[in-house]
Amino acid sequence: MTGNMRRGVMKKAAGAVLTALMGVSLLSGCGSGSNEGAASDGSGDGKRVTLKVEVFDRGNSPSPHTITNNWLTQYVQKEFGDPNNIDVEFVPVQRSEETTKLNVLMASASDVPDIVFVYDSSVFYRYAQQGGLTDVGELINEHGPNLKEYLGEETLKFGQLEGQQFAIPGKRAITARYNSYIRQDWLDKLNMPAPTTTDELYETLKAFKEKDPGGLGSKNIPMGLALAPSGYEPLIYSFIKPIQGDLTYSQRYELPLHEGFKEAMQFMNKLYNEGLVSQDFSLDEEEEQLAKDFQNGNVGFITEDVGQILYADGVLDNLKKNLPDSEVAAIDTLTNPNADNKYTKSRYGSNGMYIMIPKSSKRSVEAVKYLDWMASGDNLLTMSTGVEGENYVMEDGIPVVKEDAAQEIKDRVYNGGDMAILANGKVIGDQETNEEAWTVGFPKQNQELMRQSIAVANTDTIGPIVFDRPIEAEAKYGTALNDKLKVIIVQSTMAKPDQFEAVYEREMKDFMNIGGAELQKELEQALQEQG
Amino acid sequence: MTKAKSTLTQMNGYGELNKRTTYFKRYWQLYALLSLPILYFLIFRYGPMYGVQIAFKDFNLFQGINGSEWIGLEAFREVFAMNDFYITLRNTFMLNFLDLIVSFPAPIILAIMLYEIRSARFKRISQTILYIPHFISWVIIGGIVYQLFGTQSGMINGLLQGMGFEAIPFLTEKNSWLVTYLFTGVWQSAGWGTILYLAALTGVNKELFEAADVDGASRLRKIWHITLPSIKPTIVTLLILNLGRMVSIGFDRPYIIGNTAVREYSDVLSTFVYRIGLESGQYTLATVVGLFQAVVGLIFILGSNYISKKTTGDGIL
Repeated sequence: MTGNMRRGVMKKAAGAVLTALMGVSLLSGCGSGSNEGAASDGSGDGKRVTLKVEVFDRGNSPSPHTITNNWLTQYVQKEFGDPNNIDVEFVPVQRSEETTKLNVLMASASDVPDIVFVYDSSVFYRYAQQGGLTDVGELINEHGPNLKEYLGEETLKFGQLEGQQFAIPGKRAITARYNSYIRQDWLDKLNMPAPTTTDELYETLKAFKEKDPGGLGSKNIPMGLALAPSGYEPLIYSFIKPIQGDLTYSQRYELPLHEGFKEAMQFMNKLYNEGLVSQDFSLDEEEEQLAKDFQNGNVGFITEDVGQILYADGVLDNLKKNLPDSEVAAIDTLTNPNADNKYTKSRYGSNGMYIMIPKSSKRSVEAVKYLDWMASGDNLLTMSTGVEGENYVMEDGIPVVKEDAAQEIKDRVYNGGDMAILANGKVIGDQETNEEAWTVGFPKQNQELMRQSIAVANTDTIGPIVFDRPIEAEAKYGTALNDKLKVIIVQSTMAKPDQFEAVYEREMKDFMNIGGAELQKELEQALQEQG
Repeated sequence: MTKAKSTLTQMNGYGELNKRTTYFKRYWQLYALLSLPILYFLIFRYGPMYGVQIAFKDFNLFQGINGSEWIGLEAFREVFAMNDFYITLRNTFMLNFLDLIVSFPAPIILAIMLYEIRSARFKRISQTILYIPHFISWVIIGGIVYQLFGTQSGMINGLLQGMGFEAIPFLTEKNSWLVTYLFTGVWQSAGWGTILYLAALTGVNKELFEAADVDGASRLRKIWHITLPSIKPTIVTLLILNLGRMVSIGFDRPYIIGNTAVREYSDVLSTFVYRIGLESGQYTLATVVGLFQAVVGLIFILGSNYISKKTTGDGIL
C-alpha cells in the first residue's frame, strides 16, 4: 500500500476520485431514501387524506398492471376515494410472508396500513391483547350500516373479544372443506365396489397395492399423502370424538387433545408401514409431489380440499391428458368409530380473515367507511368478478364468468379475491347459491364432479367452537404446538409398528409439556364458563 | 528563562501539531477510506445493540422498546426452562462440530491438489467449476437435493431400486440425513474455501521446492514439509474463526435441507429463533436466545485464541 502511495500524483488523484465516488454513492443512497419517504407521505393538500390498505401480493400481476396500480385500485379510487376526498393507497404484503411482514409493519407506528388482515386467529388475539387494535364497535354502528347488514351478528361474533369488536371478520362463502377422490377405473379393473367405510377403504388400498391395477410397479401409490392439512386432517377427523355435538376446538394443534387422536395416528402408521401411502409425504408440505404423482396416474386415492384438483388445466385435466382412460370419482368413505360411524369431517367457520384497524391509525373512520362501501351495492361483486356484461353475465341470479372474454378484460380482476377482503370466495347470497356460483366457475367437464364433491364435503361436518374471550395459551403456544403437531404426525406415522407406542407416548408427552397441558386446561375452563 | 521555556514548549507543541496535520494531510485518503467501514460498523453493528434491552423487557409491539416494562431475568429463566432450547443448542453444536470435522479439511486438501496441477489451463477450469456451487442459493440446492435424494421420487433411489437394492431414506431417517447434510455442505463450500489457501500458497518461495527437488524429495514429502507449513497460519486463523462460530449457525442450510421427519437433528438455534421470534412474535424470548449465542460465541473465540497462542504461537488477537 505504501509502495503504491509513493508512485506519484496519478495514484493519489485516483485515490481521491475513488474516495469521492464512494462518498457520493453513499450520499445518493441516503438521498433517494428520503425522497421515497416524502413521496409516501402523499399529497398533503389540505383536507384530502390518505387511507392505507394492505393487499396480498402473489407476484402474479399481468402487465401493464402492478399490485398497487391496476384496474381494481383505480376502481376503488374512482368510486370510493374521489367522492369522499380520500386517496386510497395499497400496501403490498407478500402472501407467503404474511404474518412475518405484518408483525414488522405493526411494530412501526408510522408505516402500518390503516386496514390490515390475517387468517391466523392467534395473531389476532395477540394484537388485541397487547392493546394494538381499535375497538370498531361504535364506528360500525355509526358509519357501517351496510357492513353490519352484510356480515350479520353471527359472523361479527368472530371478531369480538370480551364485548369489544377488535376485528371485522370477512365472510366465508362456502363452509365445505374436504372430500376424497378415488380412481374409478382402478376399482372397475379390480371389479370392486367403491369403499363405504374406513375398513373397506383399507381393504381397497391393499388391493390397489397387491394387484397394481395401474401396472406401475414401484411407482404405485395406493393413497397419496402430503404433510398438508388436506392430507392428515380428514384422516384425523374421522377418528376423533367431537367436543360438543357437531362442534369442536377450532385450532389444528388442538386435535391431539381429542379422544381418538391416537387411533388416527395408529391407522396412519399402519398405512405407512404397509406401503399404502406416499413414502416421502413428510417432505411434501406444499403438495407439489402429490399433485405430480396424481396427474401422472400413480395415485389411487386422495383426500383433498374441495375442488382443488378440478380447476381449469389443473391436476384432473392433466391426468386426463396423460391417461385418457382414467376416471375419478368423489366418494365419502372415512367413517368415525368414535362418532356413531358418521362420515365426520371438518368444515370452515362462517368467517374469513380477521380485518383489523391498528390503534395507531388516524383514519379509522375512513377505514370503516371503505369497508362499508365495499359491502354496499354491487361493489363486492364487481371487485371479485368484474363488470357485468363484460366479465360475467347473470343467469338465474348467478354470475357466470364469460370464458370468451378478452384476456385484457379478464386481467382486470386478476387479484379480485385478494381485493374483496370482506368475502372469502364469492358471496352472492345463501350458501347454496354461493356453491352454485363457485361450481359454474369450473370447466364444463368438471362441474358435475364438483357438485358431487361439495355434496360429500357437506356431509356430517364438524365446525369450530367460538369462545368470546381469547384463549391465552393459543396466542402463547400456538405456533410451537402447530409445529409439534407435524412432528407427532410424522414420527408416529413413520415409526416401526413395534415402536409406535413408545414414539407416540414420547411425542405426546412433549406436546403436553410445551404448552399442550396448559392449553387443555384453559379450553376446558372456557367451555365450562360458556356452559 | 521562563519566557524562553514557554516559547520552547509552544514551539514544540506547534511543531507536533504541525507534524500531525501534515501527516494527516498526506494520508487523508486512507482515513477517508477507513471512515466508511467504521461508519458501517457503528450503524449496522453497534447501533442495533440498543435493541438488546428487549431481552430484559416484556416487549410489547405497540409500546415500542422504551414503553415496554422491565422484567429483569425472567425471560432468561423461561428460555432456560424450555426443552426445545436445549435440543436446538445440542443440535447446533453437533452440526457445527461435525461440519468442522468434515468440511474444514476439505478445502485444504483441495487447495493442495489444485496447487500441484501443472497445466495452468486445466487448473483455471477446475477452479471455476469448483467455485460455482458457492454461488447457488440454498433454496435451489434444497430443490436439487430433494430431486436427487427423495426416497420414492429421488433419482439416486430410482437407480438403486432399478439395480435391485433397497431404497435409502437419505432425507427422512435422521442418521442418513446427517450424512446428506454434511456432504451437501462440503459440495457447496469446499471450492470457495480454497481461495484463501491458494492465496497463501502464492507467497511460497519456489526455491524451496527446487532445493527439495535437488535433495530428491518425493511429492508427498514436499507437500508435508513445504506446502503445509506455509499455509499453517491460514489454517490456524480459519480454525479459530470457525470455533468462534460454533454456537451460531446459518439459517438457510438447516432450514431448507431439514424437514419434519428429522426435526430431532435439524432444529437449530437459528430456526428456533425464527420460529419463536418472527413466526410467533415472542420477540423477548428470541432476543434472549440471540444474546446467549453472542456471549457464548465470544467466550469460544477468546478461548480458542488463547489455546492457539499457547500451543502454536499463532493467534488472531
